[in-house]
Amino acid sequence: MLALLTLPVAALVLGASPADIEAGLEHPLFFPALWLTAQTSIISLALVVLFGTPLAWWLAVTDGRGRRFVELLVDLPIVLPPAVVGIALLQAFGRQGLLGSTLDALGLQISFSTAAVVLAQVLVSAPFYIQSAASAFRRVEGDLLLVARTLGQSRIGSILRVGLPLALPGLMAGAALAWARALGEFGATLLFAGNLPGTTQTLPLAIYTALESDVRAALAIALVLAGVSVCLLFGLRILPQLWGPQGGRHNRPADGGSP
Amino acid sequence: MGAHLLLPIFLLLAGCSSSTPAPLAIYAATSLTDAFTELAELFQVQHPNRPVQLHWAGSQVLRLQIEQGAPADVYASANVAHMRTLQARGHVGPESVFAHNTLVVIVPRDRDPSLTTFADLPRAQRIVMGTEDAPVGRYARQVIHKAEKRLGADFARRVRSQVVSHESNTRQVRAKVALGEADAALVYASDAHGFAAVRTIAIPSPLNVSATYQMGIITGTERAESARAWVDFVTSAPGRTVLSKHGFVLP
Repeated sequence: MLALLTLPVAALVLGASPADIEAGLEHPLFFPALWLTAQTSIISLALVVLFGTPLAWWLAVTDGRGRRFVELLVDLPIVLPPAVVGIALLQAFGRQGLLGSTLDALGLQISFSTAAVVLAQVLVSAPFYIQSAASAFRRVEGDLLLVARTLGQSRIGSILRVGLPLALPGLMAGAALAWARALGEFGATLLFAGNLPGTTQTLPLAIYTALESDVRAALAIALVLAGVSVCLLFGLRILPQLWGPQGGRHNRPADGGSP
Repeated sequence: MGAHLLLPIFLLLAGCSSSTPAPLAIYAATSLTDAFTELAELFQVQHPNRPVQLHWAGSQVLRLQIEQGAPADVYASANVAHMRTLQARGHVGPESVFAHNTLVVIVPRDRDPSLTTFADLPRAQRIVMGTEDAPVGRYARQVIHKAEKRLGADFARRVRSQVVSHESNTRQVRAKVALGEADAALVYASDAHGFAAVRTIAIPSPLNVSATYQMGIITGTERAESARAWVDFVTSAPGRTVLSKHGFVLP
């Protein structure tokens, strides 16, 4: 099983010569796609963290049927095939979609724009962050928050100054996972955002397009994307150790919180 | 899961396809979908012992698949360039030209009735065309290049800047207009032929191009005889009738 999991990636790395990679990096599709992917995936990640963190906190502190139902809704994009997500996004935000005429009246056209790329990325990556953040928040001991409250912190203050720093390794891991998922988003983007260099053609779409004319370029772009993803994976494994209980750093912000 | 567990699964999967005689694998450009589907049904009636399997993709994608060793028997391309590349690399034998096509502009049926001529195209805010390597996209670029000379640089500049997506084959291009997501698209006349979801706007013939469809048999195929029968059938009188019915121009 391990061989099956690693063989394709190993073949990708072994199959490329430095000349191939250089040719790929100079391919006209490469740089615009890299830049667009960096921009969109960072915006997506920011949106996911900004709006996902409060939801994750709510999931961590709430109990009962309502929470379980919301958890199911959050997980939905994970089980939906990307092509389904793409069609569903068109049905919701496309011109003929549910919100199409409303958005049109506001002068907004989301489908086939960079905003569509971001929307697709947010949709497919948010569940990974929210799941991970919620379980990190669940591991924060309620007593610590109570202590912070008795020391004069407001409810929000205790969450921001005690809860968040304690959950940080889990949040970082979730963010890295979500980012990796956003970087790789392909199917929903192709259907909902289209494929235009510089506007909606992210690295996965550039691989798809380059493959039609130049296998070596596609291979080189794939290698770069694999490299970034592997870096994220290492980040995912190493960061929690730096911030982890043995790292000692997690106490500092909490200490700073006490007057 | 160890290899000893996976092996029987692979054998099982392999066994599924070898239990029946391997069908003739026809790798055909997406624009041929309707015509070749009908042709295959008729071919099956004439040759019940020669099963046929149709594979669709943009000609450039099929070319790549064949280069990478896909088990194709016949290649039908919507342009000459991809066929020549495969022939030059020894993958395909001599070609036969079996159809031509032209380009048209399509718009959603029930939107902006004032968009009636090709010169109106810049008024379409969102235009979709094929990728540069997809034949339909390459032909579309040729049309716009010709229009640049006849209708002015501003026409071409506006059209190019309003393109929102490059799709990998002509049916993906058409779908964007059928969905109402694009205001206009450049596709083959045969794609618009009898397709009720879109309205067709002709491209004046001085600006238009003639697409050439070629078929060739893959070098060294075990099903060369069936492949020959298929090529003969498509170029026969009944075959030509079907192609013509679907909006293709006959050579």
